[in-house]
Amino acid sequence: MFRFRWMTSSTNYANRRKDNNSSAPRMSGLPDNILDEHKDDVLSGSVVQTTNFIYNLLGKSDDFVMRKFQVFGQYPAALCYLSSLSAESKINTEILKPLMSGSDQVTTASYNSTELKTYIAEQVLFQSELRYESRIVQLVESILRGHIIVVIEQLSEAFILGARQIDKRSIDQPQTEQVIQGPREGFIEALETNLALMRYRLPTPDFRIRTMQLGRLTKSKVAICYIEGIVNPLLVDEVEQRLSKIDIDVLLDAGYIEQYIQDNHLSPFPQVQNTERPDKAVASLAEGRIIILVDGSPFGLIVPSVFSQFFQTTEDYTSRQLQGSFVRMARVVALVLSLIFPALYVSVISFNPELIPTEFAVAVAGGRAGVPFPSVIEVLIMEVAMEVLREATIRLPQQVGGALSIVGVLVIGQAAVSAGFASPITVVVIALTTIGSFATPAYTAAFALRMLRFPLIILAGTFGLYGIMIGLILICNHLLSLKSFGVPYMTPIVPADAEGMRDTVLRQSLWSMKRRPSFLRTPDQIRVNKSSEMQQEPRNILDPMNTQDERLVDPDANTATDHTDPSNSGHH
Amino acid sequence: MQTPRQITLIQATAVIISTIIGVGVLTLPKLAAKAAHSGAPLATIIALTLASLGLFVVTKLGSRFPRQSIVQYSERIISRWLAVLVNIAMISFFIFLTALTAREFGGVVIATVLMDTPLEVTVLVMLLLAAFSARHDIRTFAYIHLFYTPIILAPVLLIIIFSLKNANPLYLLPVYGYEREQMLPNIWTIAALFQGAFVYTMIIPYMKKPNKAWRSALWGMMIAGGLYVLIVTAAVSVFGPKETAVLLWPTLELAKATALPANVLERLDAAFIAVWVTAVFTTLLSSYYMAIHSLSEVLRFRDHRMLSFFVLPIIFVLAMIMQNIIKLYELIEIVGRIGLCLTIGYPICLLIVAAIRNIRGEADDTNQPRKTGT
Repeated sequence: MFRFRWMTSSTNYANRRKDNNSSAPRMSGLPDNILDEHKDDVLSGSVVQTTNFIYNLLGKSDDFVMRKFQVFGQYPAALCYLSSLSAESKINTEILKPLMSGSDQVTTASYNSTELKTYIAEQVLFQSELRYESRIVQLVESILRGHIIVVIEQLSEAFILGARQIDKRSIDQPQTEQVIQGPREGFIEALETNLALMRYRLPTPDFRIRTMQLGRLTKSKVAICYIEGIVNPLLVDEVEQRLSKIDIDVLLDAGYIEQYIQDNHLSPFPQVQNTERPDKAVASLAEGRIIILVDGSPFGLIVPSVFSQFFQTTEDYTSRQLQGSFVRMARVVALVLSLIFPALYVSVISFNPELIPTEFAVAVAGGRAGVPFPSVIEVLIMEVAMEVLREATIRLPQQVGGALSIVGVLVIGQAAVSAGFASPITVVVIALTTIGSFATPAYTAAFALRMLRFPLIILAGTFGLYGIMIGLILICNHLLSLKSFGVPYMTPIVPADAEGMRDTVLRQSLWSMKRRPSFLRTPDQIRVNKSSEMQQEPRNILDPMNTQDERLVDPDANTATDHTDPSNSGHH
Repeated sequence: MQTPRQITLIQATAVIISTIIGVGVLTLPKLAAKAAHSGAPLATIIALTLASLGLFVVTKLGSRFPRQSIVQYSERIISRWLAVLVNIAMISFFIFLTALTAREFGGVVIATVLMDTPLEVTVLVMLLLAAFSARHDIRTFAYIHLFYTPIILAPVLLIIIFSLKNANPLYLLPVYGYEREQMLPNIWTIAALFQGAFVYTMIIPYMKKPNKAWRSALWGMMIAGGLYVLIVTAAVSVFGPKETAVLLWPTLELAKATALPANVLERLDAAFIAVWVTAVFTTLLSSYYMAIHSLSEVLRFRDHRMLSFFVLPIIFVLAMIMQNIIKLYELIEIVGRIGLCLTIGYPICLLIVAAIRNIRGEADDTNQPRKTGT
């Protein structure tokens, strides 16, 4: 049933692209099309001509600023930028001022065009980000990206200077992936900052960032990050391949990319993991995965991803091994619970009450005595109500959200029971399920199980335990057939990989995971080299029985202690 | 024909185990007890040996033709049209086997857990499940088997362990049994329970190391056969040979007689049936897959996928033909014995003819199997 694959989707792309090319003979009045027409035009050297061209394109926007002035009082020039994207005070002091005043010797001397260019670049402007550009279209695009351009009479190239200033929020805790132990930084919207967050954790020349532009209107910068020598080069090629097929007007978030590059579009399960955490991103890079970041999105995509990743967090590894293993097991229980618990309840109540102990069965029957609906309907209604409530608490303004969730959970639940609408056990079951679905760290994976709960409840209502098994088998078969960039989704459970399996439900000690995950086919396999050091007996240097320490019984040290004796005794 | 080699030995073992363990386990102790009464475990072991012989021949053929399935090499060994004829018979047998398995388990379900549900529904649900899953490629097929094998083995072992407290070892004496008039036909029927292992002919050309196929075969037979012997021993030692021989599904009765400690679940039979759906599903999937995969090879199709729903109505009608459960089990015995001729006799004939005519498959390039994997 879930048979739609990458191949079918790629033909979709093909069709779409063809449509774009054929059915859009563009109106040549739009600025964007003018840019296309004048793609290869170069600067003529005349300021007026250049500024007119630029003004025609951008002048209708009120945030466009064009300032005419004279360099060193003798060369006519113009400076163009978008006031919304640039720091104006910086422009005044660091660009305009040195250019207009200049030094005394310059004003007297007269330069030819190349000399002038080098002189300005090397001695006048205090800008590290400085480029020359001769193509006029590139100048317009630079302005749109927040750069400042300076056009000077007679020069065949214009200066592109960086004074971009875009407000961004500060780095704070990732909202969707909170931890108790571990770093608290999260990605923000600005790509540069996100790259910086990763770069400072990975000061290695092997850390590579490749960027490309996607989106016809948004021209969003997309960064593919990987560690050379660890990542499989074929994987990088494949990711680039899939990304380059994306042809869309606006690309606003990493979620857009996820939908384009995933293998199976109809599967409820996410085949690409997203994260807000730079430490998680770096850990994935070091395993041989690839991170895709998009400018404007605080989420990074991790490819390829397997199912077991979705109930693991970086916190498992920052906390101690036993703690990590325990928490992880609890999460797996929660995961399974959130999927099958209500279905199990329905089938046991309506088909096989003989399974549960008699006293409990009597109690359940007593609780259900006043409820008019069959248990399937009851559970379904409560589940739907719970979903509505959950969605409402996300959308509500924060000031009322807390109040409403209390009202919702406590009052509605209580009232539903006393109104004879639902039995108390049902409320318990639904509550447990909901809490269980929140315990899964990956929101997208939890969502998949949340959705699959409903067909399972219906199957349980029609066929009892038999129906649940049928449903579970279908889900498992689908999981087993799923792939993420060729990696079977259930790796390392199936196909079995002993080393990976030890770190799936339980958490392995850091030094015993000697290799990188084998399913990623990394050129460099070794993660931990010297396991022998960990096996060395640690020295109990502060053992109270340890009076034989050389430094304490040393004759030289004895003389030293004589001097400090009074103070020593005073301390103790 | 070039086939990507991607199935590991452990996956192949899992395929054999989970294919063999199926709905037949429910009736197995009855057949064994009928064969030799207290010698039921011994009868099972004899049947196991017989079935292993068949699998051994299949493996031998597989290592002789490491790149071809039985449909393909049979056409080389005996002439094309003769092979097509026998292969069609083999495919019809597997279609019939699928129908019988679905019908048998459908019957079990309506007799134990879903009393008010029509038989057609439970049978159709199982068949649909198999039909959907049979559309996957052979790699997923192997993954499915590997994934479910522990889920199949665990509940049976659990029931065997918990039933030990009711066991009476005296029921198992004398070991060689008594009243053995019915021994041979019943052993034949028990051996027929193993014939699902014939899917191995389809697996071998996809294995990474086809020359080590005998290892998986051996392990698979030993684990599945060992489990069979344990179930028979447990059932006979709890109910006694006479009682076991008249119970319809002694294994299910065994599940009913056991209870979990601390009374977590009061009865186990419904839960057992639920978990047993996976075991039946894997068996069903194997025979279904074998049928449509072989059919697509006979018809020279590139893909078996579209055949999946094409044979579904045929199988469903075949499954519903039997009037009642008595007729069903009579038919199962007959079909099982005919099937045994096909799954053991046919490979033996092929092997002999291939040896006489000295036909071999193209040599296998075992030095680069990893490259094509995944």
